[in-house]
Amino acid sequence: MNVEPSNHLRDRCAIVGTATSKLGKVPGMSAIGLLEEAMAGALEDAGLTTADVDGLLVRGPDEIYTFHQVVGERLGIDARFSTTLTNGGASQVMGVALATMAIDAGLASCVLVGYGRDNWSRVHATKDNHLRSSGRPQELYGVEFGPELGYYGAIAAHAFGATRHMHEYGTTRDQFGAIAVAFREHALRNPDAMMKKPLTLDDYRAGRMVVAPFGLFDCSLQTDAAGAVVVTSAERARDLRQRPVLIKGFGTHNNISGWFNNDNLTHTGAIEAGKTAYAMAGLGAKDIDFAQIYDCFTYMVLVQLEDYGFCEKGEGGEFVASGALKLDGVLPTNTSGGQLSEAHVEGMLQIVEGVRQLQGKYGPDRQVKDAEIGLISGHGGNTVCESTLILGTA
Amino acid sequence: MADYLKPLPIPSPESVPFWKGAKEHKLKIQKCNECNGTWFPPATICAHCGSRDHDWIEACGEGNIHSFVTYHRIYHKGWEGELPYVIAIIELVEGARMLGNIVGIEVDEVVCDMQVKVMFDDVTAEVTIPKFQPA
Repeated sequence: MNVEPSNHLRDRCAIVGTATSKLGKVPGMSAIGLLEEAMAGALEDAGLTTADVDGLLVRGPDEIYTFHQVVGERLGIDARFSTTLTNGGASQVMGVALATMAIDAGLASCVLVGYGRDNWSRVHATKDNHLRSSGRPQELYGVEFGPELGYYGAIAAHAFGATRHMHEYGTTRDQFGAIAVAFREHALRNPDAMMKKPLTLDDYRAGRMVVAPFGLFDCSLQTDAAGAVVVTSAERARDLRQRPVLIKGFGTHNNISGWFNNDNLTHTGAIEAGKTAYAMAGLGAKDIDFAQIYDCFTYMVLVQLEDYGFCEKGEGGEFVASGALKLDGVLPTNTSGGQLSEAHVEGMLQIVEGVRQLQGKYGPDRQVKDAEIGLISGHGGNTVCESTLILGTA
Repeated sequence: MADYLKPLPIPSPESVPFWKGAKEHKLKIQKCNECNGTWFPPATICAHCGSRDHDWIEACGEGNIHSFVTYHRIYHKGWEGELPYVIAIIELVEGARMLGNIVGIEVDEVVCDMQVKVMFDDVTAEVTIPKFQPA
């Protein structure tokens, strides 16, 4: 059955506050402590307090499934609408979408959406943690059809897609490298970014292989950090402190029949999630001034750019190698440095960056010129979940 | 055999026939009696039509590599000294796709769509893991 998005949600709500915690290596802070810092900052940015909040949407750490309760207790918030999302890196964008739906349905009026993690500290706490890479307890992994084959980590799942794309379309590692290089250039303009050194294509090529075809610089960072945003009605947003950024459209699509099924390795949930978001917003790829694309690994940027219609299927390699993603390119992308070079908070920081670009918060070295419409993607849940957000100036 | 240091599979109730088959050097998968579809990993309903009427069949053991990755670092001590190693998504002739190690070939010679066939590695006295090699 064909489902049409509800166009009345276009411009119904706005993001009115943003904040991040300290980013990078932040020993002595828990994930939840970082999240509190970001949430308090987002409310302050909006000119609001916890007393104004009646909705709370968070992506929990992997091992705490009642996370919204833990956060609510520490912030002293009773919520008319709250839950914990488990769509991995697609959770944060989905949180903004759900907040909009909840406000529209009259279930809440002001929703805090946030995520925090202490990944760098956890992974580097002991040698054994580092071996496990994600720092997740071993028993949370599947117990068959994976560990006994030596199949570990999100990197391999995404690398399967990269291999198939290279085979079908002739995509090259140097084209993946162009993505890493472009985002590093952006990070060098961002004083909060973890990565401070320039990266050349030669540096990219020299990076050690991890799970081929991915090497070191194809992989996103391990980060201690949090981000949060405040969502409320567009009407209320007019009276608040910041220039409101309108939520013009959103969509989600989850290929949960499996990453290995059909042609999902090379055709992600972004195809359908994007169609829905564009339809709700009444916009298309040609209207987008900049993008913040979920970049857990370089290849995922390339394939999502194709799937959102910024270039034809199979031409993502040429598109990224053309310089399109740079600040002065045709589609400035991951303008903070992204998860590859700024910090990795599962997409939360990319929402913050998108909002700030539309608020015109940056100096000329980092600001996308005349930015009016931005697209933000969330991707995760072991590669099959996708959420899309289209934001615009009021 | 006592020195096998890699994780061993802990079968779910639905996948016991797969592991029992492997022990007998048979590659067992499920096939729907309504639509003839096959699927993997094991489940109680057909992933294609939703039917609950299926049988376990012995796959012919041949297929091709849909995609693959090559590990250049270890994530578990059991693979110390065995880098690099390859894991592939194998599309069996019957249609179902499964993960498997590729053996019997240099890692840099593995390519997508390459034909492979199953072999059975008796890793312990109790457990056999199906792997794939060039056909």
